[in-house]
Amino acid sequence: MITVNNLSKIYGDTTVLSIPELKINANESFGLVGNNGAGKTTFFRLILDLIRANSGSIKSKGMDVKGSTDWKFYTGSYLDARFLIDFLTPEEYFEFISQVHRMSKGDLDLFYQEFDDFFAGEILGKKKYIRDFSHGNKQKIGVAAALMAKPEIVILDEPFNGLDPSTQLRLIRMLNELKTQKGITLLISSHDLNHVNEVCDRIVILEHGEIKFDMQKNESTLKEMESYFAR
Amino acid sequence: MILKWLISHQIKETMRSSFWQKQIALNIIMGLFLLIMLAYLVMLGMFIDVILAEGFPDKDPIALINGIILYYLGIEFITRFFMQSLPVLNLETYLTLPAKKSSIVHYVASKSVISVGNYLSWLVFIPFALKVIAPAYSTGMAIVWILAMIMLVFTNNFLATYVKRQLAHKPWVVGIFALFMVALFALDHFDIFSLSKVSGALMGGILAKPYLIIIPLASVIAAYLTNYYFLRGRLYPDEINLKKKEKTDRLGEIKYLKSIGLTGQLIMLDLRLLWRHKRTKALFYMSPVFLLYGLIFYTEPNFKMNGGFPVFIGIFMTGGMMISYLNYCFSYESNHFDTILANYTDFRQYIRAKYLLAVAVCSICFFLTIPYGLMGKEILLINLATFLYNIGFLSFTMLYISTYSTKRIDMNRSASFNYQGMGVSNWLSMLPGFLLPVLIVWPFNHFKLPIVGYTLIAVIGLTGLVLNKPLLGIVTRQFMSRRYIMAKGFRE
Repeated sequence: MITVNNLSKIYGDTTVLSIPELKINANESFGLVGNNGAGKTTFFRLILDLIRANSGSIKSKGMDVKGSTDWKFYTGSYLDARFLIDFLTPEEYFEFISQVHRMSKGDLDLFYQEFDDFFAGEILGKKKYIRDFSHGNKQKIGVAAALMAKPEIVILDEPFNGLDPSTQLRLIRMLNELKTQKGITLLISSHDLNHVNEVCDRIVILEHGEIKFDMQKNESTLKEMESYFAR
Repeated sequence: MILKWLISHQIKETMRSSFWQKQIALNIIMGLFLLIMLAYLVMLGMFIDVILAEGFPDKDPIALINGIILYYLGIEFITRFFMQSLPVLNLETYLTLPAKKSSIVHYVASKSVISVGNYLSWLVFIPFALKVIAPAYSTGMAIVWILAMIMLVFTNNFLATYVKRQLAHKPWVVGIFALFMVALFALDHFDIFSLSKVSGALMGGILAKPYLIIIPLASVIAAYLTNYYFLRGRLYPDEINLKKKEKTDRLGEIKYLKSIGLTGQLIMLDLRLLWRHKRTKALFYMSPVFLLYGLIFYTEPNFKMNGGFPVFIGIFMTGGMMISYLNYCFSYESNHFDTILANYTDFRQYIRAKYLLAVAVCSICFFLTIPYGLMGKEILLINLATFLYNIGFLSFTMLYISTYSTKRIDMNRSASFNYQGMGVSNWLSMLPGFLLPVLIVWPFNHFKLPIVGYTLIAVIGLTGLVLNKPLLGIVTRQFMSRRYIMAKGFRE
């Protein structure tokens, strides 16, 4: 699904990301773990063509993300609050994103139905702009918008940050459902080793822009991660 | 003890504020501007008696000045209410520290003292007191008078902050106060009730019996304590929270825009962007200024229709709004630029939506300027030509140029004196677009063939309109090649 080749990103004279080779297969759930400044967000931004790599390329379904826009139709993403349009109400925002992704009115209604649980009555019909919502609720809006167009690839940066416990659990359940039922490819990053462990099959540890660990999840993965970060 | 820290944090906050982090050129220009203004004020103070002697030769300048002081304070009060920002301290940080509450409250209550607005009037009344009052009475009396003035100004300062704390969301109350001031002035004019007599009696009284200075002294203490106890009673952050829940508007119900698909959505997004932020909303209030440009210049009896100047006015009248929109149209989207890049698939459509909005804005302005035709057919012609030039040429040029403004504009910051993202280079780069039509018209006007000049400008505009597809293509390609640099700038 996503192939990374010889990728590097350099700011000034520090290399913030350097990945010689990486393949993420379809229907894989890929968890990125690392301390602050490890290059997680940089990697996601590169996949979404938000920044320019110093060398190498990223291909989505065999097409370079830089040259084409096709990947945008099957990729949903939420990295940070910059993905929200904060002067809109949530309804206006969802309507806008649905139009950008060429969804019909019916698709939008279906989306509201499916996410009713996730929103827990705190998002819709509030008659206020996104900028006036709490951090956690903004996060909810952003994650929902990333999932609304039924994407094949979902990229979420720290999606559990700021969510209340119920919503965290709902999100974990929802992502696992999407993975098994719809067969989506999932890329998430998190500081929370438990969450990654619960959602992802493949876990990659990034440190100073380099991949230090790349493993399929098994019973001992959580222990291994803990001992890696405890040192 | 805590006070020392509070003050040191305050100084750091001021010194490190982004206000200073502008380009040097802009700082120098603003500094010069400020110096000139200050010099004007001092000059006014020095020569106010001369000015008054010319206007009212048979009256005593001291009595005149004493008479207007309460009026002055009233006007100052209104200005303060709108211009002076409320001193706020990030109280939560300090409330949990082991410090006496009263020192924190005293600090917040007195913080407004450092506001520049308290000191500008000194530049006028101190020279006046020393030059006029000192010789008439004595230097000592002049100092008493100055002290009284200073106390009155600070009374005003504390009153204004107190009122603003309570009524920040009801500015209309101050509007009523302004009307009240006007009414008082009218009553004064018709000799029914004279505020100027009260004012004269107060200030004159102090000059006659210096111990009366306890009146302003008492008033400044009373005003301060009012502030202090008000804050004291509302120390907890949720109680002084000034943020009112914002009502949502109904901009989404423009049926026509909904019916034209994604382009309509994109235009609506920009409309909402402009309408829902203070900084850009101010543009709407500014629009009459652009439209009334003509009224200022065309009614001027010495105004000549030759030279290139009328064209310049025409461009601003029909295009002023468009220019202020297009100039920062990408920077305005700083806060959600990443979502644009990650979600939009057709950037040509995105640019086109901006172009269409610009054309619509420009057209509205043009229609509103049609009545100027009553003042002469030539004006109508100029406006038509510059309108076509604006939508057919200047619009594309500005879209192209604005891809070079990569400074972040955080739209959620307050509007007044928000120079974020403003650069000298930005304005300079627009100059050629304004000067070109002036340079075209000038020679033709010189040879008394203005029509030819106007036609040429119109033809440039029409050519641009005909070629709008390839021109939008050029802008889109430019945008695509600049997108990483823009996104990087907008994230900072």
